[in-house]
Amino acid sequence: MTAWPLLFVLTPLTQAQVTFNDLVKAGEKPANWLMYSQNYQSHRHSRLAEINAANASGLSLDWIFQVRIMDKFETTPLVVDGVMYVTVPPNDAYALDASTGVKLWEYRRRLPPKINVCCGQVNRGFAILGDRLFMITLDAYMIALDRKTGRLIWETEMFDYRKGYSGTHAPLVVKDTVIAGVAGGEYGIRGFIDAYSVEDGSRKWRFHTVPGPGEFGHDSWEGDSWKQGGASVWITGSYDPELNLTYWGTGNPGPDWNGEVRKGDNLFSDAVVALDADTGQRKWHFQFTPHDVHDWDATQIMVLADREFKGRMRKLLLCANRNGFYYVLDRATGEFLNAKAFVKQTWADGLDGKGRPIVRPGTDPTPEGNRVYPMVAGGTNWMSPAYNPDTGLFYVPAREGSSVYFIGEAEYRPGTRFQGSHFRNEDVDYDWYGAVRALDAVTGELRWEHKLFLPPWAGLLSTAGGIVFAGTEDGYFKALDARTGRELWHKNLGGRIIAAPISYQSGGRQRIAIAAGSGLFVFGLPAR
Amino acid sequence: MSPARSWILTGKAGRPVLLALLALSAAGQQRDSNPYSTPEHVAEGRRLYRFYCVNCHGMDGASGRGARLATTFRRHGSSDADMFRTVSNGIPGTEMPGLWMDEESVWKILAFVRTLEARGVDACDSNPDAAKRGWAVYRNKGGCAACHTMRAGGGRLGPDLTAIGAGRSREQLHDAIVAPDRQIPKRYRTVVASGANGSRHEGILLNEDEYTLHLMDRTDRIRSFQKRELSSIERPSRSLMPSYAQSLSASEIEDLLSYLCAEKEVKP
Repeated sequence: MTAWPLLFVLTPLTQAQVTFNDLVKAGEKPANWLMYSQNYQSHRHSRLAEINAANASGLSLDWIFQVRIMDKFETTPLVVDGVMYVTVPPNDAYALDASTGVKLWEYRRRLPPKINVCCGQVNRGFAILGDRLFMITLDAYMIALDRKTGRLIWETEMFDYRKGYSGTHAPLVVKDTVIAGVAGGEYGIRGFIDAYSVEDGSRKWRFHTVPGPGEFGHDSWEGDSWKQGGASVWITGSYDPELNLTYWGTGNPGPDWNGEVRKGDNLFSDAVVALDADTGQRKWHFQFTPHDVHDWDATQIMVLADREFKGRMRKLLLCANRNGFYYVLDRATGEFLNAKAFVKQTWADGLDGKGRPIVRPGTDPTPEGNRVYPMVAGGTNWMSPAYNPDTGLFYVPAREGSSVYFIGEAEYRPGTRFQGSHFRNEDVDYDWYGAVRALDAVTGELRWEHKLFLPPWAGLLSTAGGIVFAGTEDGYFKALDARTGRELWHKNLGGRIIAAPISYQSGGRQRIAIAAGSGLFVFGLPAR
Repeated sequence: MSPARSWILTGKAGRPVLLALLALSAAGQQRDSNPYSTPEHVAEGRRLYRFYCVNCHGMDGASGRGARLATTFRRHGSSDADMFRTVSNGIPGTEMPGLWMDEESVWKILAFVRTLEARGVDACDSNPDAAKRGWAVYRNKGGCAACHTMRAGGGRLGPDLTAIGAGRSREQLHDAIVAPDRQIPKRYRTVVASGANGSRHEGILLNEDEYTLHLMDRTDRIRSFQKRELSSIERPSRSLMPSYAQSLSASEIEDLLSYLCAEKEVKP
C-alpha cells in the first residue's frame, strides 16, 4: 500500500470540499460526476449537451489511462473539479488529471492471498464527501482515503472475509454517513447493509437483508435456512432526500438453485428495501422474485423519477429486473403500480395485482436440467440503465436467451461455494443476443431497440445532447440517438466493456469516459 | 473499525504478511501425496465434487466452462501437491476459486478427480503394430494431415491432434471420425458468408462480432468481411470434416484409433 502525493508538481486544480448539498444537487452541476449513478435518483443522465446527436460522429479520443490488471474493469470514475478518481481491481485507485489522464497519486491495497468471490476480483467505484473518498474492499472493509493524496484515513471491517463476505460496489454517501452492503450470495452469507460515520468509520446502523428471529419476514425462511440466506448487496443504492429513504436492491437467496432447503418467500432476497437513511429502519420492501430458484438477483439500479401515473403525480421507483420484468412502484409506499416483460420470459404467467409473479408450473430447476427464459444472468443484470427526464424514456441493456437450470444438493461450509447445483448455457446459446431498449418509463412499452450481437454487460449513459452511450461484449463503444436508437458513432476499444460510461466537463469541454479491457478511455469533440 | 495509525509503517500491511507466514508454515506441514485414496474416500470426494466443482468442470470432468479434468496434462501442475495447492488457493486471475476447506476434504476431492483422468488416458489404448498401420491411414487414405496438425506438421482447418490420446477416450475419437457432426467444438463451427456480389465463402468461423466476420476457408485462407457487405450468413449444423464411416473400413478406423491413442505426449 503506497500513496504518492504528486499534486504539487502539477497545475493547481481547485479543490473545493464536496458537501452533502452538492450531492443532493449533483444532477444540476454536470461538470462533475459525484456519485456512481450521477445523481441520487440514479438517472445516469448528464445535462451536458456539447456533444449531441448532430456532432457525435466526430467524437475522438482525448486520452487513455492503462492499468496493470487481468481482472474485469467495472469501475465508474468520479470527477470533481478537473480531477478524476478511479478504482482499479482488486482494490487499488488512482487520481488523474481529468483533461490529460496524467496520474496525481496512486493507492495500492495489499489483500490477503486467498479471497473467494463469485465473479472476479472487481470493484465498481468510489463515493465522495468533503475531501474523502470511500471504497469497500474484497476483504470486506470500508475504507476512507484522502482525496488529495490517496492516503488511507480509516478502515472498518464490515465482516470476516474468510466466511465469504466481500465488497464490490461503489458506496453511497448520505449526509454524514457512507452506506454499503456486502457481496457473497454464492457463499452462504447473511446479507446486510451498513452505514458508517464518514468521520471515523464507526458503524451507525446495520440492516440485515435476511431477518433474524423475531424480526419481520423471519418466518419466510424454513428452519435455520436464514442463517445462510444470502440476499447480498453488490450494486449501489438510490436516495430520495425529501423522503429521506434509501433504496437498495438485494441478491439471490442461498443456495441459488435449490429452493427445497429454504422453503418460503425468503425475504428480503431479490427485493428492493426502502430504509430510513438515518436509522436503517425498513419503511417498506417489495420482493420481485419470491422464493427465487434461478439466481435472479434484484441487484439492479433503482431509478427514481417523479412522473404522472394515471392522472396523478407520483414519486416512482423504476426497475428493469433480472427476472425479465420492468417494474414501476410508488417509492413512498412501495405500492406496486405496473410491470411489463422487457425480454422473452417463460417462467411466469404475468404478475398479480400486487406484483407477485404467477409462477408457471414446471419451471423450477430439475436434476436433469430445465430450460427457462431468461438466462441465468437474467434479462438484465447489474449494468446500469439510464433515465432521460427530457424524453421520459428508460434505457436498459437487455439480454435475450435461456439457460438450463439444474437442482442439486448443497452443503454449507463457511467461506465456500453454496449454490445447490449449477446451470448450463452451452448448446442453448445459439439464440442469444442483446439489445439496448428504450422503454416508456411509466408504461414499460418498448419505444425502440438497438440490437447487439451479444448480450451486453456494459451500462448506459444518457445525455442532454440526445445520446445514449452503450458498450458491447466485443469491445465496441457506441453512441445511439436517444429518440430512435439509430447508431451515430462507434469505436472498437479492444477489450470487453463491463462498465458504465460517465460524462463530465474539464478544460471547458464535455468528455465521455468508459473503462474497457485494461484501459480507461476518454472521448470528446476535437478542440475547435 | 481500525483507524489507520502511521500508515507508512504498518497500516494494513501487517495482517497480510502474517497470513502469508501462516500459509507458508501450513504448506511446510502439507503432505506431498494423497493419503486418502480408498473407494470410500473417492465416494466422499465425489459427493463433495458435486457440491463445489461440478458447476464449472462437469461431472465427467470434461464439460462446462472450467478446465478439463479428464486428462493427465494440467497447466498448473499434475502432482498431488500441485493439485492440492491449486484447489486450496485457486488460480489468481481466473475464475477458479480457492476452497476454504479442511485438508482431508480437499484430498478426497482430488482422489475423485484422479478417477476422472483415468477415463481420458486408460480409455485410449493401442498396440504398436496397429498404431503403425494407423499412421499410414492418417497420412495416406485418410488424408487427415490436410486439415489436422500432429506435432509439427499438418493443416490448420481442424483441431490440433498433438497429444490427443491423453485427453480423449478411444470411444470419443471413434465418434469424432464416423459422426463429426454430432459434437462440433465452438472453435470449429461452419459458417457460409455470401456477399452481395454473389460470392460465397465456406469455412470455420474465426471471429464474429458486432460489425465483422472472419473465416478460414478450405484452402486455409483467412477471409475478412464487414457484415454490412454480406447478403447472408448461414450457420449449417454440419462440420467441415467428412464422416469416414464409409470411406474407411472398420479395421482401418481401428488402426487409426490406435495411432491417435498412442499420441499421448507433446513432443516436437
